[in-house]
Amino acid sequence: MSDIFFSAFIFPGLLYALVWTVGLYWFFRKFMAALHKRVGPSFNGIAGSYQTLFDLSKLLTKESITPVGVNPYLFSMMPLLALIFAILPSAFIPWMDGFVVIDTKFGLLALVVLIGIEPFLLFLTGFGSNNKYSFLGGIRILTQSISMETTFLLAALSPAVLFSTMHLGTIVEQSSWLSLLILFPGFILYFISLLGLLEQPPFNIPDAEQEIVNGFYTEYSGTNYFLLQVAKFAEFMAIFAGASTLFLGAYKGLFFDSYFFFFTKMLLIAIVMMTIRAATPRITLKQMLIFSWKYMVPLALLNLAWVFFAKSIWFMGL
Amino acid sequence: MNKIRNILEDFDCEYIENYKRVWLKTKLSSKDDLLNVAQKLKIEGLSSLSTVSPTDFLEENIMEINYFFEDLDTKRNLWLKVDLPRDEKLCEIESLTPLFPSANWHEREAFSMFGVRFLNHPDLRDIIKSKDFEGVYPFRLDFDWETHEKDIVNNMNKIVSSFKKEQEENEVDLDTDSSETILNWGPTHPASGPIRLRVHCDGEDIINIDPDIGYVWRALEHLVTKKDFIGAIVSVERLCFMDNINSMVGYAMAVEEIAGVEITPFAKWMRVLLGEVARISSHFMGLGGFFNNMGLHTLAMWNMDTREFFLDFLESYSGARIATASVEPGGVRYGLDMTMFDELQKALDKFDTTIDEVEAIFVNNPTMKLRANNVGVLSADEIYKYGLSGIVARASGVKTDIRIDEPYAAYDELDLKYITQENGSAKDRFVMIFEELKHSVDIIKQAKAHIQKAVDNKEMDPTKDHLVKVPKKLPKGEAISRVEWARGEVLMHLVTQEKATSPYRLKMRAPSFNHTMMLNHLLKGQTLSDIPLIFGSLYVCQGDLDR
Repeated sequence: MSDIFFSAFIFPGLLYALVWTVGLYWFFRKFMAALHKRVGPSFNGIAGSYQTLFDLSKLLTKESITPVGVNPYLFSMMPLLALIFAILPSAFIPWMDGFVVIDTKFGLLALVVLIGIEPFLLFLTGFGSNNKYSFLGGIRILTQSISMETTFLLAALSPAVLFSTMHLGTIVEQSSWLSLLILFPGFILYFISLLGLLEQPPFNIPDAEQEIVNGFYTEYSGTNYFLLQVAKFAEFMAIFAGASTLFLGAYKGLFFDSYFFFFTKMLLIAIVMMTIRAATPRITLKQMLIFSWKYMVPLALLNLAWVFFAKSIWFMGL
Repeated sequence: MNKIRNILEDFDCEYIENYKRVWLKTKLSSKDDLLNVAQKLKIEGLSSLSTVSPTDFLEENIMEINYFFEDLDTKRNLWLKVDLPRDEKLCEIESLTPLFPSANWHEREAFSMFGVRFLNHPDLRDIIKSKDFEGVYPFRLDFDWETHEKDIVNNMNKIVSSFKKEQEENEVDLDTDSSETILNWGPTHPASGPIRLRVHCDGEDIINIDPDIGYVWRALEHLVTKKDFIGAIVSVERLCFMDNINSMVGYAMAVEEIAGVEITPFAKWMRVLLGEVARISSHFMGLGGFFNNMGLHTLAMWNMDTREFFLDFLESYSGARIATASVEPGGVRYGLDMTMFDELQKALDKFDTTIDEVEAIFVNNPTMKLRANNVGVLSADEIYKYGLSGIVARASGVKTDIRIDEPYAAYDELDLKYITQENGSAKDRFVMIFEELKHSVDIIKQAKAHIQKAVDNKEMDPTKDHLVKVPKKLPKGEAISRVEWARGEVLMHLVTQEKATSPYRLKMRAPSFNHTMMLNHLLKGQTLSDIPLIFGSLYVCQGDLDR
């Protein structure tokens, strides 16, 4: 009993996920500052590291305004739900051999579903805000997630097809240099569609600050906004972990297996994402749709065919 | 020039005279001729109307309207005046907007500020001034500002309630069966600045846009008349903080012309140098703003980094980084300590080391090209028609640059060239700012070398030559001056009375006014995503939009 409690709430459960989230938040800020040639606050803690905690606690305790004319339950419940659903996927990740909260045969399915449901929750936040900008943001997020999820699902299928299992632990176990090579096109597609699902540049169309005033975030403030922000970074963390599990072999590394490799792989994905964020402007909704349905989906299908092909060669023992 | 003179001679003019090198000045005897004259001028090629500037002569009981026609191709310009009766009921004249679309907002401004009614104007509504000004014309000389302020305080409730009523009725007129809505893009919006665009949209598609301006109206043209000729520079430089020096140069030139003062070569070169530094600091903001509007803040941050070095130079020269107040009638305000050039050299070095990176990552950015290549396209014809200038005009391939067309300060001694792009899209305007930036740095290098050499040869004395005396009292007169500002052409029309200690009337024609006029034209039928992009590419500053 205490084992279950420990793994659900401490490691590798809730607390662990939250520490990761805050750490990622800090890392994003620092790395972005370096890319921007900015100098941040440096006197709170070691190299200004407390600043993130101060900012988060300030945001948490600020007044949360509920606008007139919205359903207050829907309005305040959505950020909480978004946070919960953002943390949940990390429960299925095998952090180390055996260190997994929920060990199920359908780990991959759970991962895909839980990541895929997040945009719909955010759509509801926009829908429940009774604001034109938020509503437009909600519509945009719906359009975008439907377009991007197709590719996302098809790309996430490729490891399952290759290893004939949906059990994440088995996928990691069976991964090798060869499988990394075979799955690499799938990884690229998965990563790009993730950018779309997470509303990251160049696909930050639903919360475009300059066009529709942060879209579904517009009416949120204080605690609710804090929850949405934490949900965003918890989602980042879960997704980085998911990508390294599915395609990059999670904790497997050179010479020996260690958590250190998992950590590095996740940060590497984060760095690539931020570099794109620092050098690529936003595209329009129309361009996103064209990109998604004209290029990404056909490529994802091709990729699946390639994985089938590679698998049949594998079985023939070549 | 002679052709224009011939046209004018057919009509009843009080005088026709040459003014400066590229101007012809005339006054029509009768306002009825205006439309016919304008028609012929348009056929002759004077296709842009720079501005419409009324001057209120209280004692003579006349309202004099000044029209400034420009031909951007052959650089012939015409300054046309016509008198109207001052009485509010009789103060009306034919509108030139059907012939010259660029007159649209300028005539609306003249209507709201001076109460000149333009007949047959398609859309004669108040502009700039807010609702509590209803019925009165603030720039008329008999306008009582003190009563007006009391009125505002007394009618506060009425003003607030009418504002709220407008908010409520914002969408009442719309068809309830359609999905048309009105989005308020601004005045508190992450990318708008203090301007409000009423965007009629159907989902993501824009039906039309109605810009509502005046949120930073400071009545600068009125403020200068309350100050002496030197104090007025503070108002003039607040046209826009980003490039404040060139606007002061324009004003100082107009004052010097009326006073009949010739400034020293050193002061001229300093005006070039300071002006280009200010232009660079403005262009850095413009480049950053363009990418900010597409959700990418990196370039703005990088530009800030370099811009600080140029501001360091301004600070070492004048003590202030932004609002320098360093150009005044008679020259420049301070002498130059030659060690300040070290500061400038630092900035130039920093620029040279970082500019290639910016070009590689941002100017050649494929995603930017994907978004900006085919939107907001302005053809050369539209440039003439709507009287656009500066970056926007040159991006469409129109060769216009006041620094070359009508050189002022020491620009005639410099090696300058027209920098143009071809297609006139949003991307071309961005690339245009970037190319201008490099050109400006080149000009600074030339000016710096020239000053350094002249000081070394003892031709200039940087501590004494900077200022010549301009009398405190000026004779009756009027003058116009044009400068190439960071955003385009600034035209200053200064009128003084006998023994004047302050300007009688100063009209500042600012480029953003024309550029903002284009928003509806450019954005109709586009999507919401294009608003910030096109708005940013027009390089508008709300300061000189409202004045």
